Amino acid sequence: MKRTSVKIVVAGGFGTGKTTLVGSVSEIAPLTTEELLTEAGVGVDDVTGVESKTTTTVALDFGRITISPDVVLYLFGTPGQDRFWFMWDELAQGAIGAIVLVDTRRLDTSFAAVDYFERRRIPFVAAVNRFFGECPYTEDEIRGALELGADVPLVWLDARDRSSSKAALVALVRHAMSRLPLPSAL
Amino acid sequence: MIDGWDGDDETATGGFLPLYILVNGRTTPRNSSLDLATQVIAIAADVRRLEPEYLQILDRCKDWISIAEIGAYLHTPLTIVKVMVDVLLEQGYLDSGSPAQQKVIDPGLLGAVLAGLERL
Repeated sequence: MKRTSVKIVVAGGFGTGKTTLVGSVSEIAPLTTEELLTEAGVGVDDVTGVESKTTTTVALDFGRITISPDVVLYLFGTPGQDRFWFMWDELAQGAIGAIVLVDTRRLDTSFAAVDYFERRRIPFVAAVNRFFGECPYTEDEIRGALELGADVPLVWLDARDRSSSKAALVALVRHAMSRLPLPSAL
Repeated sequence: MIDGWDGDDETATGGFLPLYILVNGRTTPRNSSLDLATQVIAIAADVRRLEPEYLQILDRCKDWISIAEIGAYLHTPLTIVKVMVDVLLEQGYLDSGSPAQQKVIDPGLLGAVLAGLERL
């Protein structure tokens, strides 16, 4: 079997625990890579200091889990700021799915991520991060507030805890499998 | 730093030469299936003609490594890494694994990922 990469996206608003989750399950300390905000600076003809004038960088945190000798899973945290949507497209393309982290003190910070994956029919689970203390809402209330579809799993996790983060990843992969077309429909 | 170059080109993006020179003005890889999770590995080859920036990439590719990891370790933006990796693939210095986006609906692959996660 050829060496194969798979991706899972970890999304959610700024400060919801994305890098914490990646770090708790990754076999390497989370790495940060950068992307240019526009590609304009790469190909232009002006020789002098082009990059610094025309581009901004977006930082992405990610981790890695070796699944088998042939398969490696990469976990990519989305950039915190919503204006970097162009990065989401690259992260989401071909991804198994996404974990949308939810901070119950600020449910609104997860709306954009839920909407993004809903619209593109990318499998996702909503993961309520318990790190922030007692949750004042019931599951139904959170589902209602986030307008989650009935089939979207909602899990509770502590992003600092490896087994808890792992359980969220397992829930996502199961959900993605349940949404595969039947073999006869392919 | 390259000898004889006095320009103020050591940018926040970590490039030593103006980036457009290294990639011959390309802004996108020819192989559009390259994504940031795609893994590559060096193939034994004569590397004497390569620029130091390309050698730096090859040095990182002695074992399978993703484009995102190369970018992180070399402090080079993903756009640049992708184009440079594409050049190295095209010229036979690197081999690549399957990119993430082609395998998303493979039930066997998802099953392997699930089993792998459950073993963690």
